[in-house]
Amino acid sequence: MDLKDCFVVEAKMALPNQFFVGRIGSRWIIAMRDQKKIMGLRCEKCGVTYVPPREQCHRCWSWIADNWVEVGTTGELVNYTVVRYNDKHTPKKAPYVLGQIRLAGADTPLTHIVGDVDPADVYPGMKVQAVFADGPVNTLMQIDHFRPL
Amino acid sequence: MSRYYGTTVDDIFDTMPERFQPQEAKDVDVVVGYECGGEGGGKWRLKVREGAMAVEKVEGDLGPCTATVFAADAETFIGVTLNKIAALDALTSGKLRITGDASLLMNLLPRIFKPYRVPGPAPVTARDIVAGMADRFRPDKAAGVSLKFAYDLTGEGGGRFTVAIADGRCRVTEGLEKDAAVKMTMEASTFVGLMTGTMDATAAFTSGKVRIDGDMGAAAATGRYFDRYVPPDAPRVEELLSLKKVTSIDQRFATGPVMGKWFAGLRERKLLANVCPVCRRTMIHPREVCASCHVRAGEYVELGPEGYVTNYDLVYYASPDPLTGAVRDTPYACAWIMLDGASPEEAFAFEIKKEDLPRLKIGSRVRPVWAEKTVGSFRDLLYFEIID
Amino acid sequence: MQKHRKNRNVAIIGIGQTALSSHKEDQNQVEMVAEAVRNALEDAGKTIDDIDCVVHGNMELFEMQFQPDMWHALGCGSYGKEEYRITTGGTVGATLVCASDNLVASGLYDTVLCIGFEKLQEGNTTGGITNMADPLWFRNLQTGALTSTTAMELIQKFGKERVLRAAMKYRIMMDKHAMLNPRAHRRLGLEYDQMETLMETSPQLVGELRLIHMCSQSDGACAMILTSEDRVREGTAKPPVWIRDHETSHREENMSNLYGARKPKSTHRDCAERLFARNGITDPLGYFDVFEMYDPSAFWAVDWLGEFLLLEGDEHLRLLEAGEFDLDGKLPVNPSGGVIASNPIGATAMLRIAEAALQIRGDAGGHQIKKEVRHALASGFGGSLWTVLMILEKEPNW
Repeated sequence: MDLKDCFVVEAKMALPNQFFVGRIGSRWIIAMRDQKKIMGLRCEKCGVTYVPPREQCHRCWSWIADNWVEVGTTGELVNYTVVRYNDKHTPKKAPYVLGQIRLAGADTPLTHIVGDVDPADVYPGMKVQAVFADGPVNTLMQIDHFRPL
Repeated sequence: MSRYYGTTVDDIFDTMPERFQPQEAKDVDVVVGYECGGEGGGKWRLKVREGAMAVEKVEGDLGPCTATVFAADAETFIGVTLNKIAALDALTSGKLRITGDASLLMNLLPRIFKPYRVPGPAPVTARDIVAGMADRFRPDKAAGVSLKFAYDLTGEGGGRFTVAIADGRCRVTEGLEKDAAVKMTMEASTFVGLMTGTMDATAAFTSGKVRIDGDMGAAAATGRYFDRYVPPDAPRVEELLSLKKVTSIDQRFATGPVMGKWFAGLRERKLLANVCPVCRRTMIHPREVCASCHVRAGEYVELGPEGYVTNYDLVYYASPDPLTGAVRDTPYACAWIMLDGASPEEAFAFEIKKEDLPRLKIGSRVRPVWAEKTVGSFRDLLYFEIID
Repeated sequence: MQKHRKNRNVAIIGIGQTALSSHKEDQNQVEMVAEAVRNALEDAGKTIDDIDCVVHGNMELFEMQFQPDMWHALGCGSYGKEEYRITTGGTVGATLVCASDNLVASGLYDTVLCIGFEKLQEGNTTGGITNMADPLWFRNLQTGALTSTTAMELIQKFGKERVLRAAMKYRIMMDKHAMLNPRAHRRLGLEYDQMETLMETSPQLVGELRLIHMCSQSDGACAMILTSEDRVREGTAKPPVWIRDHETSHREENMSNLYGARKPKSTHRDCAERLFARNGITDPLGYFDVFEMYDPSAFWAVDWLGEFLLLEGDEHLRLLEAGEFDLDGKLPVNPSGGVIASNPIGATAMLRIAEAALQIRGDAGGHQIKKEVRHALASGFGGSLWTVLMILEKEPNW
């Protein structure tokens, strides 16, 4: 097969999008924004408090949209990874720590950035505290990051 | 007067001057006619020229317009303006009609006018907000805090107040107490904007709209101890969040030898096809395998260059580019062309020269027009033109 | 080669839809999908634990979201279960049902939940279609799914006046059906005496295609539950609707090859010929009691009525003109209002099957056909004129 005419065409894949958080998600973010509170939704049947909250328990399929509970703004780092490369899609400059934090009262961990600490000093079980953003961000980054307690 | 969605058609036009953004209208020269039927309707003529606008209500004929909008009734006009009625539905059902340059209306007007907003209920004053501060106080957030700060709010609806936080309690008094840790001076309207979240605090501070005398840190801390202010007569509409983004992914595609040969053919101003050894169909653009016969097509032929049109699409409405929002010049035509030498089912689709559109017919004979410099890309072929 | 032989018959026992609209801002995708699933389970009188397998699909990337089934796992009920993801373009709604039918008929699973959805407000249709086109060549030519080539062909064959009137008659007929269907997205209240005005004043999009002829863009989800005949015998909440057979024709060629000097056989006719021959149906017009056809535009609809029903000459136009495709006609077409009224793309083809099934069950509601419906036909469409065709029956008597 004659390969002499092979070459590469550069293109862009367009991805304009708008993500609607929904009623539950909006309430969750607004509580963090306006009251600096972190909320979860609890399934009494399974005994699980979900953070981030969801309107239906996916295990037992119960409707839990009204069972709001407040969870703490501090928690424990379940586990973590250190991101060591840069890409236009990553939220921070490398190296930064991406952790799973189980807040006090929550049964599911929340993925977020752990900052104000040297990645080498991070360990599973570390106690961390939410640091809220100052103005309205209206996304998960209403919590700016977690820092060691 | 016919009020729909809390306002009138007249108000939309009355507010046009204050919503006009002259910096966006620098090269604009248009006349837009509006005709709204029924009660509360009327005719208006909008002129935009040399960065200035004039709108007037008109009796009788609107005269020549670049584009004209017809709304069946006031409800339709107001509803579509406020996005309460989908423009698409109104256009489809005929309750909204546009003659003339429709793309003008869709692209230009939203650019040169700020969106219309229904005037709200009686505006809240700074005084109202300060009065309610004690109710919004969060003792749990102010544990162990002892702070006194003052506001000097100038202008209408303003006043002078001191807020004292101590022992988990908050007290608001009139006047400026001398032992306040910090005094913040600003216009009452600025205070209202900051408290209702319609004005960005950082911008207000940076642009000098707020003056701080005393402890900067204390000034910054004040917001922490209170819940956000919510206007009492604001409708209890649930705030729903959304996040809008325009992202793209860079891609690199390998042509492979078959498509590569096609582009090489373009570079030499040739329209190549490859031929299936079994069914003899000429595939343009070439594909490695004939899908009907499941065999490799290794033989290449040159088609055309001339051919005739079997079908065509005259495009009046061009979808905006998803990344840039740019809209192609319309009308343009994409035609299906049977190039000389092609097998009967294999047409080649490409664009037709803009000047030839008025005389384009099924059966028109056409020939390709090449770019001055061909490099082996999509842009080597400019269009096909009709052969006289 | 032994093909299309089922190990056991399969019935639809649950149908769930969300309301279809242009803007669902109070729900995210997971919640929207979960709503359809809840409705389907309630309709079937089943719980999520009765589902053995979930089959999920939409038009990939139309919401600019990759692998949404992963995200939707929380709302699909697929936690702890096996899940399949299918994306075949516009036909996907129907392909989901075909795949679910195959899975249950094979014996691998007893009860399968299939889910089709689209939340176009979150994406960009033009972007989605552009990203589908071959990036080396056709991406540059993209017009974004609007085309008037079929209108051109029809006009060449039957004359401009007749074709434009037929398309408009079809369009108004679809709206009249939609007005009876509270779940439809666009219900405009059109009347036949508006025909002339609409033909002249509706904004032109491409060639003879005007805004009035085109389908909408909707948000919505549809879920269906399929089960085996053994399970049906154990008892169902609603009358089961049997899937007799289905056929798919997705051709290789791109749009270039469809409008040459000689047109290839349409996938619609190709599918219909094979499906009907295999099932001994020689007179589809006489056999079927309802046809839910995937009709993205009025001109395509007019053309495909002839193709699907294997009609020759201008018979399809004559039948349309005589009102035989109306609700009280010989073969009612799209009592739901069809795709022109509601189009949540990933769910649309499934909705055709769902609506046909509701007609057989007799509980379609306001747009229910008055005569008994025993044999239903439903079609799906996508891409460069692909087709999925499915036959539904009231009784398993073939």
